[in-house]
Amino acid sequence: MDTVMSEEKLQDVFDQVTREVTEKIAGIRLCEGDAPLEEDSCTVHAAFERGFHSSLALCADTAMFTRLTQSMLQEEEVTEQDVEDFTKEYFNVLCGHIASRLFQVTKVASRFEIPEFYTGRYQPEDQKEQFAICYSSDKNEGARLSHFTSESE
Amino acid sequence: MGKRIMIVDDSRVVELQMKKMLEGTDYEVVSYCQDGETAIAQYDEVLPDLVTMDIIMPGMDGLETARAILEEHPEAKIVMVSSLAYDDTIDEAKSIGTKTFIYKPFEKEQLLSTLDEMLGGE
Repeated sequence: MDTVMSEEKLQDVFDQVTREVTEKIAGIRLCEGDAPLEEDSCTVHAAFERGFHSSLALCADTAMFTRLTQSMLQEEEVTEQDVEDFTKEYFNVLCGHIASRLFQVTKVASRFEIPEFYTGRYQPEDQKEQFAICYSSDKNEGARLSHFTSESE
Repeated sequence: MGKRIMIVDDSRVVELQMKKMLEGTDYEVVSYCQDGETAIAQYDEVLPDLVTMDIIMPGMDGLETARAILEEHPEAKIVMVSSLAYDDTIDEAKSIGTKTFIYKPFEKEQLLSTLDEMLGGE
């Protein structure tokens, strides 16, 4: 992906869109910070295809994803399955907005695969983390947005 | 008589959210399909007043599914729902014959306004 955009510009796009979409969808405000990730964390991951060949992952405290689910579902009581389903949908929307914003700059139309959800941290095979943006939420939950590229790049 | 809506989206989240937003309105969700093939088969049985169609789904994507439904039912009203906002995707959706786009994340008012515009006065 950074063959068409500088890494710095790419990070700006990811950062801006992540904050906007997370606040709009769930009312959760993220700011760059180093709140440590709790042991109880989850990762949602999606591979970009058709245009870009990289992937994105968001690892965050389960508490943050739970709060996101409660906000999206408008319910206090949510199940683990709800958290997985709503987190995947949230990330689906986030990736769509990122792809759309990148298209505005690069005119490269990309699509992404359906997000996958993992308990704990997740590192895709055969990819390396090119960069990561660390966040603290308005409730001091930790989150880490990682951009992965092929190890051969 | 309420207006009958079919939701096509691989995520049950969208079904849950839309159903919640449409509670107490003239719109009733009569069918929910998680993939294109099911949507094509269900459309013939259900004949909804309007379909909301996600774009990215496993198997047939929403654009292919919309095309297939419109080939058999040119009168079908299909509204694409997506977080992707590419000019070529929008153009392709229009060329297939879909009516409009709703961008995720959407609010209740936006959904109702779009449905009113598509089905109002019928």
